Amino acid sequence: MFRSSLAATDHKTIGLRYLWLALVSVFLGMITSLVMRIQLAWPGPHFVASPDAYASLALVHGSLMVFVVLTCAPQAGFGTYFLPTQIGANEMAFPKLTRLGFWLTASAVIGMVAAFFCAPDTGLTVWLAAVLVFSLGAALNALNFAVTTIDHRAKGMTLPRLPITVWAWFINAVLSLLIFSTLLAACVLLLSDRFAATHFFAQIAAPAASPIATWQRLFWFFTQAQVYVAIIPCFGIVTHLIATFARKPVFAHRGVVLALCASGLSGFWIWGEHAFAAGLNPDAPLVFSMLATSLGVPASILLISWFATLWNAKPRMTTAMLFSLGFISLFVAGGLTGLLLSRAKFPALSRGDELVSGHYHLVMGIAATFAMLAALFFWFPKMFGRALSERLGKTHFWLTFVGVYLLFIPMHWLGLVSSLSHPSGELTATSLVATLQLCITFATVITIAAQGVFVLNVAVTLLRRADARDTNPWRAASLEWARLTPGSAIAVTVHRGAYEFLPVGIRDSAADFLPQNAPPTETLPPPLNPGAASLDPLGST
Amino acid sequence: MSGTNVLDDIELVVEDIGNGGGGKPPDHEDHRGGGGDDGNLRPRRPNPSQSGQRRHQTAILLAMVSICMFFMALAAAFLVRKTGKDWINFRLPPIIWLNTIVLLTSSLTIDLARRRLAINDMSGFKAMWRATTALGVAFLVGQVVAWRELVTMGFYVGSNPSSSFFYVFTAAHAAHLIGGVLALFYVLFRDFTKTDRLSLPVAAEVTSYYWHFMDGLWLFLVALLFFGA
Repeated sequence: MFRSSLAATDHKTIGLRYLWLALVSVFLGMITSLVMRIQLAWPGPHFVASPDAYASLALVHGSLMVFVVLTCAPQAGFGTYFLPTQIGANEMAFPKLTRLGFWLTASAVIGMVAAFFCAPDTGLTVWLAAVLVFSLGAALNALNFAVTTIDHRAKGMTLPRLPITVWAWFINAVLSLLIFSTLLAACVLLLSDRFAATHFFAQIAAPAASPIATWQRLFWFFTQAQVYVAIIPCFGIVTHLIATFARKPVFAHRGVVLALCASGLSGFWIWGEHAFAAGLNPDAPLVFSMLATSLGVPASILLISWFATLWNAKPRMTTAMLFSLGFISLFVAGGLTGLLLSRAKFPALSRGDELVSGHYHLVMGIAATFAMLAALFFWFPKMFGRALSERLGKTHFWLTFVGVYLLFIPMHWLGLVSSLSHPSGELTATSLVATLQLCITFATVITIAAQGVFVLNVAVTLLRRADARDTNPWRAASLEWARLTPGSAIAVTVHRGAYEFLPVGIRDSAADFLPQNAPPTETLPPPLNPGAASLDPLGST
Repeated sequence: MSGTNVLDDIELVVEDIGNGGGGKPPDHEDHRGGGGDDGNLRPRRPNPSQSGQRRHQTAILLAMVSICMFFMALAAAFLVRKTGKDWINFRLPPIIWLNTIVLLTSSLTIDLARRRLAINDMSGFKAMWRATTALGVAFLVGQVVAWRELVTMGFYVGSNPSSSFFYVFTAAHAAHLIGGVLALFYVLFRDFTKTDRLSLPVAAEVTSYYWHFMDGLWLFLVALLFFGA
């Protein structure tokens, strides 16, 4: 039993394991952030004895959240589960590679957590080794994804017919192939500096950097690459969900695909530039400002597409849709602060403080988490045969949504106050700063408490019996919802794109879509009322 | 939710396997041939690689891109680090040039082996393939000799960034080449009649791509170390 479970290569099993891994990590990460917030609101030796311990706590929080939650869940988790089914394949191209990738990732996670319990210097080495293993696993996984998308598409699944989610996973896989092998090279050099007494990163006889600075530098160095790897699948998921719930095709389908490619490209070059041209000396605020500007153009295209898809639509406000809209809201809010940061002189005033931290969390961490929650609510019926409770889901959404804004807007404010009044950047214990710190800590507690509703929702739903009504509750048209006999000798044939929804009023509401594998004889009738909801002329294929 | 009666109306289009995946829409073409080498694909049998005829070739090409990035990152670090004040140049050990010739020859023999395979000359193929494997192992031994020469010259791994880069480059290349040698052994000793997931021509093709790639990569690294230092 145990051995067979270790040896599983099935993409659904492995995909679920990634998701469970991410779920455990997200709660561990939230606990560490709570400890850090308590430390910041009431300074003194409570849980964290020294600045060094605080730095390593921040590293554990960051690594768990960035590596496991943001990188693994949207790409390896949902991707491994749904990429093959969405393109009509039975399995990933190399099932054993899927398994290897998962176990490498799992051991890397254990290493990252173990690093926290070691002495600072040993911990750093353990953490580096863990990142090396993680990069290897991620690169192998990306290879598997790319080959599956290129070679394992069902008959008729042409590139324009691919769902946007598949495009995002594919582009992200290509980006990961390039980025993680570069990370691997950096890890090799860093580890040989530590083990073989080489001097790749520091001049011979140069004074050693303080451990805290090293922790932070390494973390930001790796995070630069992760930003794009984490956000691109989220773009795909949100685009897919908005089209499905708006019952309209993706507006400017091709433009969206090109925008995804562009964000992949910018993610690659900007990272390479900073990693090596800057000589491994990341200047965090500057990096984020560059990032905000470079991501700006593709992000605007995506925003235009999302709003145009929603234009004149009567979207179904399910929990998954709410989380998608929440993603857009957070992404826009984060982008606005990105504009602040991209002003050349501004970051110099506020280096490494709450403004950057708030911006980064809002646009990256929280927005991506919203996209993941949207994906989870959307695909839960497919994965477990029953849908999550909508009432609990909506409570969870509103509590979290209000909570994160209460958390991160004061954090931005704090960044502004502390940097503008003291250009040197040091924090002084004015009453406003103390109040804001307290407010942020309370908002953190509220937000984390709201996740209890989510845990309750998942637990209650998993205890319920599977429900036949939940075979395709969202009336989505992509292949994973089509009823196929698993493992049979027949292959599915695709005849159309993934977003063929009929305008409201054509049929009864239960049959207002054409699945991708519906026979070609079935076609979309012209809209009854062309003014009300016109089909997108650019995107349908 | 009222999703139950929808799917009952929808007939799934089912067709026999045996056609290559992706490509054009099938609406007008009923019986396209699959990839080039689907001779061992038996119809009426569940086959997980129904549309993955060329997945090994695709995988090796993408892996090469990824490995390329790995070495480009090392090369970039080399070029940046070279400007440091503590950099001391050293002469490459002479056996490096012999090793280069050995590796180039092995690239030639693996290509000859594939030509033998193409005309179904199995004994000729095996002989050439064995020669390639032997040359590959000889190259690895030669690299160890090069390291020892460097040590006798007094350049250890940690002595200077320049020698550190030499050791890291050669070690990383050797690690990748060991993978290639293992693939050569795999093709030599694997009984391909037992499986239909991978055929001998495909395995030989993929291995030869990788081997040529290792060859080119080595030329690049030698040029970098020779001209860059």
